[in-house]
Amino acid sequence: MNDLVYFLFITVLVSMIINTAIALYGVFAKPSLVKKFIALTIFSDSINSFAILIGFRRTPLGYSSIAVMPSLPQSPEDLKNFINTAVDPLPQALVLTAIVIGLAVNMFLVGLIILFHRYYGTTSVKRVRI
Amino acid sequence: MKLSDIIVGIAMALLAIMLSYLMVYGGLGPIASYNIRPLAVAFLNNTYNPWQKIYSALSPEAVTAIVWDYRGLDTYFETSVLFIAIVGLLALFRGANIVQGISSKGLSIIVKTSTKIIVPLILVAGASLAFHGHLSPGGGFQGGSFMTVATALLAVAFSIEFLQQKRLSLNTLLAIRCIGLLAIIIVSVYLLINAVLLGGYAYIFQNMQRLLFSPNSLVAVGISQYSMPYWFLDRPLGGILFFFNLSESIAVIGGLTLGAVLLLLRENELKAVIGGEERE
Amino acid sequence: MIELLPAIMAFGVALVSIIATWLAVQERDLLLATLFSALQSTCYALIYYLFMAPDIVLVYLPVSVGILPLITILLVKKTERYEE
Repeated sequence: MNDLVYFLFITVLVSMIINTAIALYGVFAKPSLVKKFIALTIFSDSINSFAILIGFRRTPLGYSSIAVMPSLPQSPEDLKNFINTAVDPLPQALVLTAIVIGLAVNMFLVGLIILFHRYYGTTSVKRVRI
Repeated sequence: MKLSDIIVGIAMALLAIMLSYLMVYGGLGPIASYNIRPLAVAFLNNTYNPWQKIYSALSPEAVTAIVWDYRGLDTYFETSVLFIAIVGLLALFRGANIVQGISSKGLSIIVKTSTKIIVPLILVAGASLAFHGHLSPGGGFQGGSFMTVATALLAVAFSIEFLQQKRLSLNTLLAIRCIGLLAIIIVSVYLLINAVLLGGYAYIFQNMQRLLFSPNSLVAVGISQYSMPYWFLDRPLGGILFFFNLSESIAVIGGLTLGAVLLLLRENELKAVIGGEERE
Repeated sequence: MIELLPAIMAFGVALVSIIATWLAVQERDLLLATLFSALQSTCYALIYYLFMAPDIVLVYLPVSVGILPLITILLVKKTERYEE
């Protein structure tokens, strides 16, 4: 049973790597600027989810719990039980920052592409001579 | 079968080899094991610890305590990066403004009626997320993003000229963003100003009582006596976490709505202001 | 058997996300590519929920299924719809 759970988890991890490879191919090989922008957002999402999957924790029996205390601890025994079943909170805090910064840069990129189209008349990098 | 396609294929294979090497031999550590790292054990132990208050943040939510208390400077500079990106977007469309008198009335009446029902529900759910970010999953960014979905829906269903008539123009949204940033700055230096005026010592971004160190030594010489309020009627108030969540949600709702409204400006006025020049 | 349900759901949703990514990169009609990208983001949000990260779900859902498809559809409207 434990080997089955480990196999399913490794499948999710490998699918993130495959998504990263497909999105990188889309950024390099497609000549339209809007397609490059869509593939760039997929690439950054896959890298962020790769960071979250590292902080996951299995337990031998039952589920692991989220990083929030269910009730205020009354004795040090409650604190020890919470530490033994909770997942790692540090990658979630770092990925929170990364998602918001990615949104800010993507909004600026959309404005730049609109101005590029107005100046050159096209959004294909093959038909533009800078 | 061009040369560039072959190079792209070989680069993909090299990416697969290097990522597998990183996962097995690199310093990534064991993946999905039964124990967590010692740093995570230290964070989980100190996030609500009434028996060792000198290192604790006194809020039952570990992720919000890391984001706003243990690593507060990271989050402060991330907020300023979002602000700089919005200022850059304003500079790209400089000079353009919403023009009245265009006979556009938004979408049809069915869309308008259903939007009038849904927008208050979304606003209430987002405000609830921002208020209890220190007790359950939630916080400043989560509440602010929820509420900006509601205002973007308003800007699309009714038109942006309607928003301008109700005095929600570009300048008002920028003012809301700046008020949120000012609240963050005031809350972060509040204890330091208290210590300068009344005597004693305090840090910037200080939440609870912390140890004091003399310069260039690792020996603690005392305890700072200032701390933010950490209990409210019958439940923990996270101190500085509550005020940061409120200010951050106001700042996010102003900034992201401003970005959405700027991209909704009409083509005619944009062409009149930033019209393309002739190329030879 | 019932305690394997989160793992089996994550397995199925991850495979759907690979199909959605390939369709989004391959499509020539840019409006359909935006739709497939939003489908991939929904699959990722479900994976984040099943792996015990509720704070990330509450940020990822409005940002990647709400704001980003909105500004991408505005971008497609102001430039060209079919690539090349």
